[in-house]
Amino acid sequence: MTRFIGGVEADHGYLVLPLHVRFRAVCILTALALIVVLIGPFVLDPYTQSVLVRAFLLAVTALTVDLLWGTTGILTFAQGAFFGIGAYAAGLMFTHVGYTAGTVLFALLAAITVSMLVAAFVGWLAFWQGATSLYVAVVTLVLPIVVVQLIYSGGSFTGSSSGLVGFDAPSLSMSGWFWFTGTLMVLLTACAWVFIRSDYGRMLNAIRDNETRNRYLGIPTSHIKITLMMAMAALASMAGFIYACVGTIVAPEHAGFVFGTELVIYVALGGRGTVLGPVIGTIGLEWASAYISSILPFVWTIIIGTIFVVVIVIMPEGLLPPIWRTLSKKLPSRLAKAAKGKGAITFYPLAESDIKTFPANMSQPALDLSSVTKRYGHLKVLQGIDIAVMPGELVGIVGPNGAGKTTLMRCISDGLERSSGVIKVNGKDIGQKSPAAITTLGLGRSFQNTSLFESLSVSECLRLARYRHWQPSKTDTADRIGLPTAAMEVLESTGLTSQLDGKVNNLPHGMKRALELTMVLSLEPNVLLLDEPTAGLTKADRLMIGNILTDLQTRLGLAIVLIEHDFDFVKQVCSRLVVLHRGELVLDGEVQEVVNSDLVQEIYSGHVE
Amino acid sequence: MNYLFLDIITTAAILFIISSGLLIIFGVMKVINFAHGVFLTIGGYSSLVVTRFDWDPWFSMPLAFVVGCLLGAFIERAILRFLYHRPLDAILATWGLGIVLGQLIIIAFGREVQFADRPVSGAVELLGAFYSQYRLLLIIFAVLVAAAMWLLLKGTRIGLQTRAVIMNEPLARGLGINSSRVRLITFSFGAGLACLAGAFITPLSSVDPNMGLPWLVSAFMLVLVSGNSFLALAIACLVLGGAQVLASTYINPIIGGLTIAVLAALLLRLRPKGFAYD
Repeated sequence: MTRFIGGVEADHGYLVLPLHVRFRAVCILTALALIVVLIGPFVLDPYTQSVLVRAFLLAVTALTVDLLWGTTGILTFAQGAFFGIGAYAAGLMFTHVGYTAGTVLFALLAAITVSMLVAAFVGWLAFWQGATSLYVAVVTLVLPIVVVQLIYSGGSFTGSSSGLVGFDAPSLSMSGWFWFTGTLMVLLTACAWVFIRSDYGRMLNAIRDNETRNRYLGIPTSHIKITLMMAMAALASMAGFIYACVGTIVAPEHAGFVFGTELVIYVALGGRGTVLGPVIGTIGLEWASAYISSILPFVWTIIIGTIFVVVIVIMPEGLLPPIWRTLSKKLPSRLAKAAKGKGAITFYPLAESDIKTFPANMSQPALDLSSVTKRYGHLKVLQGIDIAVMPGELVGIVGPNGAGKTTLMRCISDGLERSSGVIKVNGKDIGQKSPAAITTLGLGRSFQNTSLFESLSVSECLRLARYRHWQPSKTDTADRIGLPTAAMEVLESTGLTSQLDGKVNNLPHGMKRALELTMVLSLEPNVLLLDEPTAGLTKADRLMIGNILTDLQTRLGLAIVLIEHDFDFVKQVCSRLVVLHRGELVLDGEVQEVVNSDLVQEIYSGHVE
Repeated sequence: MNYLFLDIITTAAILFIISSGLLIIFGVMKVINFAHGVFLTIGGYSSLVVTRFDWDPWFSMPLAFVVGCLLGAFIERAILRFLYHRPLDAILATWGLGIVLGQLIIIAFGREVQFADRPVSGAVELLGAFYSQYRLLLIIFAVLVAAAMWLLLKGTRIGLQTRAVIMNEPLARGLGINSSRVRLITFSFGAGLACLAGAFITPLSSVDPNMGLPWLVSAFMLVLVSGNSFLALAIACLVLGGAQVLASTYINPIIGGLTIAVLAALLLRLRPKGFAYD
């Protein structure tokens, strides 16, 4: 249901909804769930209640695993350890200091602080640029092992392998705990449900799908992941803290690696990334295992293990999504539509005054490279490249395959790439900065091979591209998003406007390239790096992109650097040409002069040494 | 001092034996086999079966290897081949498989700690120290495993095909190498090697359903710092295993138990390639 409105009159057609349809649905469902929790103790026996209290707390912890793994793609075995840190904070405090209102508060704060600090450290270890997802799994695997070993080595202080038992703790009746933990679980689930469907949640999905591209959109992914990990650690340790209070027992198993994998199993079975799936799955499995495991102790584990393997292999999305799809077919269409909860999204052109493009300082180069060199061992891929691009210049880089053109782009857009040399964007040295930080200096880069977010829709991709200028909401999805005029023009003239709801991986190649260009333009860069922007496009599309580029150059004064093989296109748009050959800059001059030079003819026909 | 030296060498040998099965699977398939721990356990129970039937204790090793190969082949065909494009899911599926196999072992053999007969026992005098004969024998086993791997990889056709798949799978397939067959053989062989390792380490301690789990983490970390090179694995086992022995001796055994995991994690942070060199 995404509309597209060109022109400013769209403002008048915009209705401010106080609460989104989705929010109403969430409120109703939350209220229903709370009523169920309220009734629970009146119809359930105390044993079932105690089983469910445990299940609720594990569900909260599973929820944190879902936000990290299902939503953001961080496979973590560490949430069990954070749960354990919370539980031990309670156990140690109440055993050694005693139970008063003051110690409860202090222990809870300590649990949250310690686990957040540990999470920050784990995040610092795990989320450096270039870390593989496997490495993240490794680090989160080591944490519970370290925590458990520390507990073992604590002797009588931590109770070693037998844990701590029978301390005084805040006591409530079982019904009281049921209400407390049930309410907590329902509210947190509702919050998480809203959160993952917000713009911020979509951004986390995008990090899961294609983290590199996010960095080049100026999104500080490592920072976001560390923050998320810290928040989830705090939640998990809170759940562990309450768990210790309920049972007045803590044991090393509550911090262990096996417990961490159990949480991952619950999330996978319920449906990763769905919030409701992991919560329902955890409660259901905990409840079922409390009954069945006493009848069939070993067989139950085999059944769970087998289902888990089958789910991972055959339906990686988990059990909830297929069940939901079957159910939603039977729902009245109006309800089903509301449940889908896709608001209408409008894109409108930003007024010139809203454009935050860096003010072009006409007297200094927008992009300044001096003696940039890149080596792989002894092999020099780039040697002493000096290029200065003034605002309003459109420089083409040409050269045969392997000349180092794409490497040069990488060096400009990622501070860790080059071996030596100085690069300045808008007069500022990029140093060792990350791609995200360089993007905030005013640089936009497109890729040779289109690099997009395959599972997102076109409009969601465009929203991501606006991250730099517009903080995504953690609760809502924006109904209208302003794009710079240039981006709007590409959208309109390529027909992407009719595809806004379509999934990116269904788009034809030309559309993907256009979308990529739109995304880069949405960053409002004043230095634009384009790696073969017209590869695989039709003649008409090339012409159109050429016109847009010349317009950006002349009207907005952007500095544009583009790599191109097509000499006709280069002649049409570029104001200057640079020739790279074997990692060296061999020519830099007027287009005609360079194109007609003997050297270029020779390089391209392969006669030069 | 001599004890310390022998401890370091034999610990490295044990680590090398238990990690090599995981390494060959990771090197070829880029899949971390989290059922590795349970494979080690199965090797231990092969020794127990041999003891129960009163066979020669040496027979437990070929038995463990054959059981492992058959099981590995079955698992590769039934589960893993669907997961090559989802390496993280492969970790989870093999972990789930480990849970199922572990429970089956409990049903068949019980939860309790049991003992298998040892092929050799007693101590021998070496470098002026009396040292466990079997631990010394493990050094020879480690060398034999390494030599067998080297011969298989460098000297046979399937070894050549395997190396081709390690380096560049799409290209290898383009050249007509049946990479699916290479994967089947690799996983089966890796699983066999893991079970064999289980049989090798059983005489050092006892047999119980969770005996493989502590080794899994060490093997996993060692493999990650070694990439796909057996030489790097040998170096990693010596360095990290040595650190473990030193930490256990001079600090305390609990810190010693953490050494490999923590050092490997930090090493990978500072140098993502770990001990691999190219």
